[in-house]
Amino acid sequence: MSESFEPKIVAFVCTYCTYAGADLAGTSRMKYASNVRIVRLPCTGRISPMFILKALQKGADGVLVSGCHPGDCHFAQGNYHARRRWTVFRALLAFTGIPEERIKFSWISAAEGAKFTELINGITGQIRALGPFEQYQELQTVIETQSTY
Amino acid sequence: MGIQEQYRKEAAELLSSGAVKLVIGYGEGTTADRRRPVFIRSAEYVGRLVLDANCVANLSAYLVQEGLLSDGKKVAAFLKPEGIRSMNILAAEAQLDPEQVVILGFDIEAGQATSLSGRNASDFTALIGSLKASGLSPELQKEADRLEHMGSADRFEYWKAQFSKCIKCYACRQVCPMCYCRRCIVDVNQPQWINTSSHTLGNFEWNIIRAFHLAGRCVACGGCDRSCPVNIPLRLINHRMAKEALDTFGHFAGESADQKPVLATFRQDDPETFIL
Repeated sequence: MSESFEPKIVAFVCTYCTYAGADLAGTSRMKYASNVRIVRLPCTGRISPMFILKALQKGADGVLVSGCHPGDCHFAQGNYHARRRWTVFRALLAFTGIPEERIKFSWISAAEGAKFTELINGITGQIRALGPFEQYQELQTVIETQSTY
Repeated sequence: MGIQEQYRKEAAELLSSGAVKLVIGYGEGTTADRRRPVFIRSAEYVGRLVLDANCVANLSAYLVQEGLLSDGKKVAAFLKPEGIRSMNILAAEAQLDPEQVVILGFDIEAGQATSLSGRNASDFTALIGSLKASGLSPELQKEADRLEHMGSADRFEYWKAQFSKCIKCYACRQVCPMCYCRRCIVDVNQPQWINTSSHTLGNFEWNIIRAFHLAGRCVACGGCDRSCPVNIPLRLINHRMAKEALDTFGHFAGESADQKPVLATFRQDDPETFIL
């Protein structure tokens, strides 16, 4: 391979905290990896597990889900509900063999532009090292791998 | 008098006194060891009811038939402890009023059907509490542990082989008392969340989301596992979700008719070790 692998990372973020944090990183002229595609949503409580699966289906190598710190939710409880959902969903993904390293969760407030920059750079590095998530994307070509019934 | 005769008599009394309008029970199936659901509306037909160790289906799924309970009349149903738990969940999720269901409770022990005392959902609180105390199935846990020790790449291969068999017949959904959505996520096509083509990616998505929607709701009645025509071990993935709900949130599905659904509630000090 002549070109080095550049991962595609989809970040689902809440508009009140992490998106504002990303904005702060931008306005502060902090540089972060351009591998991340940010999808802005009203709240982490709005982030359905389907979004994560859809991102992987469409070729993402990694997914980040990020929102307000507990207690800071604009809608008071959205991130608490989201936290429970992720706990369960993360266990499910791990059980089906989707590597935990590819699905990340974080709390980033509107003031944490530097944390956002560090996190994105860190995740991008990790996923670049893991390589493309071909295992999952190749499932589209698998019709049947075994016929034991 | 055997348990079958006893319950037939009870069903006849309930119907002839007008206490219930319908009895949902088990009848003879196509082979000697199969039972199929029967719906009895008149005391003269209670002879069709069968109750023995082959009565394994969870009949609580029929309680949410559209319009069945909307007239406010009562219905009796033969339910095992799992069935009572799933009925509790349906009540907690506002799908039915537990006051409208007369429970003809039974269990299967050592190849014999045994009767359970109590006719209302609240009579079984102690029984379900003892089930919670005895924990989840150790056999399933053993199998789940085997998978967990594999490493994610091997585990992925395992499920890839399993899910590639899926023909998306949705029997697992149809049989499940918890799958009462009028429009299932897999049938939604704007946007099409789950790929419905015959490749394994869509099968992965379907099976992951089906298990996720059952997290903290599955009572391990085994209906999906038995109904799967290609023998995907759905019990394992459901068990893993039940374990997560129990270990992390202390939630045992269907403890009572007013138990809050595990993903519709939260505690401020829920664990969050994985969040960066």
